[in-house]
Amino acid sequence: MRSLDYQKPKRPVSFICNAPAAKTVALVGDFNQWNPAAHPMKQMPDRSWLLTVELKHGHHRYAFLVDGVLTLDPHAQGITRNDKGERVCLVPVS
Amino acid sequence: MRKTAANPAGTHAKLSPKRTRSPAGKIHPIVIYPFRQPGEYSDLEALYQLVRRLDAEKDRYARPITVLDRKTHYSMDGNKAFLDFRGHTLTRCSDVLDVWAVDTCQMWCAGLGAAFEDGAAGDVYWLIPGDFNYGTAVGQEVLGRLHDLPEIILELDQDVCIGEIATDYNNSKQIIDTYGTFALLYNWFPAEAQEIRQFTERPRSEFFAVSHDFLSEALRQRWYPYEQTVVMLLQAVFGNKSISRFFVGNISDLPEGREPLASAMQQVERTERVLKAVWREHHKADQDWLERYRRLETGSEHVRRAALTILQNLLR
Repeated sequence: MRSLDYQKPKRPVSFICNAPAAKTVALVGDFNQWNPAAHPMKQMPDRSWLLTVELKHGHHRYAFLVDGVLTLDPHAQGITRNDKGERVCLVPVS
Repeated sequence: MRKTAANPAGTHAKLSPKRTRSPAGKIHPIVIYPFRQPGEYSDLEALYQLVRRLDAEKDRYARPITVLDRKTHYSMDGNKAFLDFRGHTLTRCSDVLDVWAVDTCQMWCAGLGAAFEDGAAGDVYWLIPGDFNYGTAVGQEVLGRLHDLPEIILELDQDVCIGEIATDYNNSKQIIDTYGTFALLYNWFPAEAQEIRQFTERPRSEFFAVSHDFLSEALRQRWYPYEQTVVMLLQAVFGNKSISRFFVGNISDLPEGREPLASAMQQVERTERVLKAVWREHHKADQDWLERYRRLETGSEHVRRAALTILQNLLR
């Protein structure tokens, strides 16, 4: 990913993963170096998983790790590939 | 072809927050002016408000280009409203490229080529179709999202980013792509078609941005008069390029947004013609290409006939 050094304000972005039967769900992306331990998601009373993270202005690649399996967000605004060639999602932050 | 959008949450088009420094490359906006001049200018006024803002951000955007077919110009000869719009709006915020073009894709080629010759490594070229209902609330929302396409190329080092319009399952565009475009792609280029569909359901989208390097390759290949997005996506898969897709808005199922059957049939037929030509181009060095071509051609005819039957049933 190209490094852009202009000012990037941070904005809170909420991610929701609908995986009611999952035991663990984590948010992985460029913003946490795809580290499964960095952003565990929290299960809500309706059994969906939620996490709000602060992201810099720009476009970020991400996916959910549902019980360790890389899973696309069906509501993602975009699709691309990560550095490993896996299909992942895109979220714009403005 | 006129397009419309139907997301009720309309917002005013706005660019990302202004950056204090320019990113690595410049973004070259290329507007394809509508072939048929609309009777009123609200959609074009809305589009050119965006173009004006792009033109003002000179450290980030190259001077926008408007590609205008001479046939459009001459059809409006002496029309004061058109001449005023051209003189007061188009030329103030963009360089107007007057071309004689056989089809829209030749306008794309002229615009992208002209921008490329002014560009440099690291730049991005952003195609903006002009015949969209940008003046509506949902059109404004689409305008507000289009800038994401070139930004994705710059920020994530992509080669091509397709802007995807959502349609309902009965929209003619959806039907053409499902039963025509993809069915024909699966016949002629099955592996590549599956790869393309992993990214987009709109392989004929007119909204896209491309990197300088990929455009350089694409411009040196044979350019077809229509369905150039399909060709570029195939070239991207052949060359193992980075493809992204970004959602830019919803097309409504309003009656005026539907294409007539004849137009839908023509689109399927020309997709087949282009795919045949690309296949021959790609396989002409193979010893057995003619035998394989004949087999695929037989399958293609079946696919086309089935598509036309479905279109006839659904769009008549």
